[in-house]
Amino acid sequence: MSAPRSVNRRTLIRNAALLGLSVPAVNALLAACAEAPTSSNPGGGGSDAPLEMASPDNPVTWPISDDNPPIDDGMSPEAGPLLIYNYADYLGPQVIKSFEEKYGVEVKVSTFNDTDEMLTKIRTGAVPYDICFPSYDQIARMVTAQIARPLNHSYLGNLDNVWDVFQSPWYDGEARYSVPYSIYTTGIGWRTDQVTDDIAGMDNPYDILWTPSYAGKVAVIDDWHTCMAQVGLRAGITDVNTSSADDLSVIQDNLTELASTVKPKVNISMYNDLPAGQIGLCQMWSGDVVNAQYYLPNDTSVDVLQYWFPEDGKGLVDNDLMLVLKGGNNPVLAHLFLDHMLDEKNSLKNFGYIGYQPPQKVLDTDRLVADGYLPENLATAAVQESWFDTGYRLLELDVDNDQAWHRIWQQFKAGA
Amino acid sequence: MTAAPVPATKEPQAPGGPAAPQRRGIVGKSLGPLLALPGIVWLLLFFVAPLYVVLAVVFGGVDPIFRTVIPVWNPVRWSSEQPIYVLTHIVGEDGIFGPALLRTAVYVLTASVLCLVIAFPIAYYVARLAGRWRGLLLALLIAPFWISYMMRMLAWVNLLANDGLVNRIVSVGGLFPGDTVWLSGHSGVVILGLVYGYVPYMIIPLYAGLDRLPSELIEGARDLGAGRWSAFWRVTWPMSRPVVIASILLTCLPMLGDYFTSDLLSGSPQTSMVGNLINETVLTPGQTGQAGAFVLLVLIVSLLPMVYYVRSVQRADGAVV
Amino acid sequence: MSTSTAPRSTGKAPRQPRQLRQLRQLRGPVGWWRDPWRKPRVLVAVTVGYLLWSLLPVLVAVLFSFNDGRSRTTWQGFSMRWYYGDPIRSVWHDDTLQTALMQTLKLGVVTTLITVPLGVMLAIGLDRWRGRIPSSANSMLLLSFVLPETLLAVALLMVVTTLVLPFTLGTTAQVIGLVTFQLSYPAILVRARLATIGQAMEEAAMDLGATPLQAQRRVILPMLVPAIVASAVLVFADVIDDFVLVRYLSGDAATEPMSVKVYNSARAAPTPALNALVTLTLVAAMLAVALGFLLYRYLAKRAGDQESIGSFAGET
Repeated sequence: MSAPRSVNRRTLIRNAALLGLSVPAVNALLAACAEAPTSSNPGGGGSDAPLEMASPDNPVTWPISDDNPPIDDGMSPEAGPLLIYNYADYLGPQVIKSFEEKYGVEVKVSTFNDTDEMLTKIRTGAVPYDICFPSYDQIARMVTAQIARPLNHSYLGNLDNVWDVFQSPWYDGEARYSVPYSIYTTGIGWRTDQVTDDIAGMDNPYDILWTPSYAGKVAVIDDWHTCMAQVGLRAGITDVNTSSADDLSVIQDNLTELASTVKPKVNISMYNDLPAGQIGLCQMWSGDVVNAQYYLPNDTSVDVLQYWFPEDGKGLVDNDLMLVLKGGNNPVLAHLFLDHMLDEKNSLKNFGYIGYQPPQKVLDTDRLVADGYLPENLATAAVQESWFDTGYRLLELDVDNDQAWHRIWQQFKAGA
Repeated sequence: MTAAPVPATKEPQAPGGPAAPQRRGIVGKSLGPLLALPGIVWLLLFFVAPLYVVLAVVFGGVDPIFRTVIPVWNPVRWSSEQPIYVLTHIVGEDGIFGPALLRTAVYVLTASVLCLVIAFPIAYYVARLAGRWRGLLLALLIAPFWISYMMRMLAWVNLLANDGLVNRIVSVGGLFPGDTVWLSGHSGVVILGLVYGYVPYMIIPLYAGLDRLPSELIEGARDLGAGRWSAFWRVTWPMSRPVVIASILLTCLPMLGDYFTSDLLSGSPQTSMVGNLINETVLTPGQTGQAGAFVLLVLIVSLLPMVYYVRSVQRADGAVV
Repeated sequence: MSTSTAPRSTGKAPRQPRQLRQLRQLRGPVGWWRDPWRKPRVLVAVTVGYLLWSLLPVLVAVLFSFNDGRSRTTWQGFSMRWYYGDPIRSVWHDDTLQTALMQTLKLGVVTTLITVPLGVMLAIGLDRWRGRIPSSANSMLLLSFVLPETLLAVALLMVVTTLVLPFTLGTTAQVIGLVTFQLSYPAILVRARLATIGQAMEEAAMDLGATPLQAQRRVILPMLVPAIVASAVLVFADVIDDFVLVRYLSGDAATEPMSVKVYNSARAAPTPALNALVTLTLVAAMLAVALGFLLYRYLAKRAGDQESIGSFAGET
């Protein structure tokens, strides 16, 4: 028993000693000690090539490797149960039920808090999930590490229903690995009984979050990239993936100012907190504000909710995906589920539950209000297909830049 | 985490005390090691070894694709990038972690002192003066142990909501507007939550210790003419000091890792504690090593009080060790 | 003034039971006027105040589990809606709440079944073993007792996510973490009991011809039963309450017990069904404790031990 213990203790003592030293001395000392650096830079770990980063300017079609082929045509579905990994409240129970009835299988949905957690847990292989719902900026890693399974489009007839933009998107040419699930914008949501300003009429509507009189009522999205990108937009930084140190320091200053003026909450439960009145003003995803109407107390009118997104579409636009996982035991069933979700009727039913719009051709974006999908005061939450050309897209960042962004975010989250 | 062994006060040595000259035969001799072995192996596997894994992660590398950690088992090949990152960002220009660490210290100390201020009179009363109410009072004091911590926090989330009872009661007289937003970044609320959550963990060990104080000494002091206060200050308090210290340790050590109280009662970075830093970074790609570094930091800070606690308990156990 | 009724050694004449005198002195405005700062009064006020403060918020939460509306802050009339009335979100109909409840109970039972025997054996073993190894094992045990839980949880999470093990995140990992964290309870409680039993019994048994093993099984073990029962109840209650370990080591949603569910929901969109769920577990826990205490008292009387509810809080 003494072997691991003594090493352990010795190291602890060494660390304790280190803490007592001055920081520069520690730097020098440890730098000298590090014989074989296993740094966080690419090449330090087990893999060879740096990750290819897709962007609208650099569309990528991911290769299909021999040891991870798509499934064959015309196979019959497995017996299930189908294991789905998703955000909470992000999949309508009715559409799950209709799938269960149609194929006589059981569907089990597990939830994660953010996609980082999703990736970490999928990689442990603890549960053989069949389907997950990532964002497009994870697909590079998931394909490269062969976590995703290439799709066989013969099972996915309903893919024709979605907008042309997504038939062969820049992040996944020929939709080889993914199909689109939902589309949304990131704007500002508020309650008219707590915020009386005419936000849409302001010169810079983003400024509203920095209004001192709303201290304690403000929340921002607990996602470093989304939150910081919107903070950057306030300061006119339209490159939402910027690697310029100047831009980042502007974002940092704005974020610090935000923290000190309004002490915002940082979470992703706006769809509940705003209707419940716990917050009055927040960064918000369009899908959440649509969803929020179902969380309003009975005695509160839906008119109280408002959402703003730039009318010209020059704001943050996003979409989430559905992916079949290589580690799952039910690949055929998984394909069928994807197709089920791309079905016109089902996706509209699902829209009615989750509030996030599917990119279905049948949905006439100008008529969402008239067709009853959105209340009049939330017409601004409708997502236009053209915005995917004009809007800003959050991309995966290279390692150094990613660290620079995270450092600022960490400072903000640590309340420094 | 319920109550705990506390170092005994001045108590006569338990029977069976020191020396144990006995044990016959081979079975008798090997019985102790045999019985203890499974437990010891368990602790080595799941308590000591994991701490080494933390070291291997902290001083390890990062997978270039997933930014997840690659533990490095050989200490010779350890890279110190992550701990250095953490250490260099505590104070100074880049001191992004410093405020949270300082905040943790302030919160934990304030909450512990408040806990003691509340717990000591109660434990003293129940242990020494409550008479026939003692059983009932003790049962009520223990009740919070059976109510989940989360539920007790949830109760406060309800009370402190914008339209919750607290705001309503406050606004009854019309003196205050009653529109205070309690659950957003108030240090006071988080400290209140900590005190509320942890004070039972202090009352019970304090009670156990004070209950054992030999009443003869105190009564003797009174008989010899000491006043109520003077008897307390000059006899009771000095005798109960080891118990008080142990109880404070038992309360503030778990508080050091707390992140959920701040999460539930504030949700704002303005009240982030070191537990929140750990919780934020542990599953974030590329930062798991930092989480490990924070774990080590807390471990180092708490090592001294922990060793003190272990020592004092073992001393109180006398010859058992 | 102490309420202890133990005879004092001053040799004075016997006098009235102290409690009586104290009561008499407390009564009446005159007594209060003469000495308004009598310690007991202030202490009673503090104690009662504290009890109200500690229990009232929970009672309010319990009350709102019977709310007719969705609100957990505005009373809208009595109903059992959140227990079984609501066809979707009531405890009775919401599968996820039931899964959480079952996982909580499962972890509680399994962990207790492993921890208690392991801890009792460890305690007896360490008690009968002299030297450096048992002494460091004892330190290790006490360290595991005071280590902040978050540290152990993160360490184990790193173990599970970085090593190739025969198990992954989920119930197994949770049980391993919980057993490690709880092992000190039975060990410490049983050691304390062993210290009071002493070695005379065991030696007497062996003098009468019992082998060491027989002496343990037939003499020592029965005397330890009250301590074992108390530590089992303690471990069980503490496991149901646990949050940090079980959250980090949970796998899919099916392995998230109640505390995690409460935490997640409290941060998202809670309904009074959550209050109803915790009310149910509260009732269950109280029942378990009451039964446990009765059993403990019965056993303790038989073993000639002095019983106290305090043992149920880990008092040694």
